[in-house]
Amino acid sequence: MTDGEGGRLERLEDTIELALTVGLGVSTVLLLVGLIAGSDTALRWGVLLLMLTPVARVAVVTVGLALERDWTFTLVSFFVLAILLAGIWVGVRR
Amino acid sequence: MSAHHAIVFLLTGAASGLVGAMLGIGGGVFLVPLLTLAFGVPIRAAVAASLVSVIATATASSTVNLDRGLVNMRLAMALEVATSVGGLGGGLAASLLTSQQLFLIFGATLATMGALMVMRSGRRNVIADTSVDPGRLGGRLQEGDTTYVYRLRRMPLALGASLVAGAVSGLLGLGGGIIKVPVLNTFCGVPIRVAAATSAFMIGVTAAASVFVYFSRGDVVLPLASAVALGALAGSVVGARLGQRVEARALKIFMAVVLLVVGVRMALEAL
Repeated sequence: MTDGEGGRLERLEDTIELALTVGLGVSTVLLLVGLIAGSDTALRWGVLLLMLTPVARVAVVTVGLALERDWTFTLVSFFVLAILLAGIWVGVRR
Repeated sequence: MSAHHAIVFLLTGAASGLVGAMLGIGGGVFLVPLLTLAFGVPIRAAVAASLVSVIATATASSTVNLDRGLVNMRLAMALEVATSVGGLGGGLAASLLTSQQLFLIFGATLATMGALMVMRSGRRNVIADTSVDPGRLGGRLQEGDTTYVYRLRRMPLALGASLVAGAVSGLLGLGGGIIKVPVLNTFCGVPIRVAAATSAFMIGVTAAASVFVYFSRGDVVLPLASAVALGALAGSVVGARLGQRVEARALKIFMAVVLLVVGVRMALEAL
């Protein structure tokens, strides 16, 4: 692995970490508020946001790798994203 | 749900998150039996709460592990293909096997993996010579002042294990790390900490593949899933940090004991 490639991967890791932290932070606040105040709406959005965080992570990786023109891994990541979106689609359709 | 129940579920989540994050397995394998057997939660609600909690554990420990450079991203992405396909296949195949057969196969596999891990726990996967090329799917690992190199071996086996892990996740509502971590460490040359961190990075995605179906079916009982997930979040942040301080060999023995106990328990469930 060259230094340039390592540096780019590190930057992508920072972006992923940010996406995960934001998703986790907001959903934690919603879940806490929901449990303390007994609000089902807050709980529903908190759980949904938590469930969507890994999907957002894969989307960030796919875009990040495409911007780096790492086509092999962009394709790999896009495939995973497609499977996740299929899971959501099956859920929504029911 | 009473305040008393909420606290019990928070603590249950915290315990499974702690152990799960240390070992990179999410903790669903403890959570589902605990919720169903100890607290009488219906199996579907337990599986759904476990999936939400696995996502929480995976996400929280990944933020810690990414910071420490322990996640092998390329390897995770390559194996995610197999876990997501396995998850889909597992969901579809769920109707073909009886739950007894499932428990027996799963239990026997785990117990065998546990025994193999104990036997091979003295082996080190890392090479201290940093001039060695780690290859595209290998990597480097910093331990104290020393940098080690590791190379990925037996990629087809890693992919096969991930496919099975995904299928098990789709069938039983687990993260699947309990299969991936031992295989990556014991047979594929990946150091235990990297195997755990990379697995934790992947299991959130594995769980996300099926959790929306449970959610739409109404199996996600919001107060239960929320309390367990919040507990798991707190437990996993501590667990991911603790995993750093424990000796690699101790971590392997701990994982082996967990595999043996859970494996035997699951096999007994089938009899």
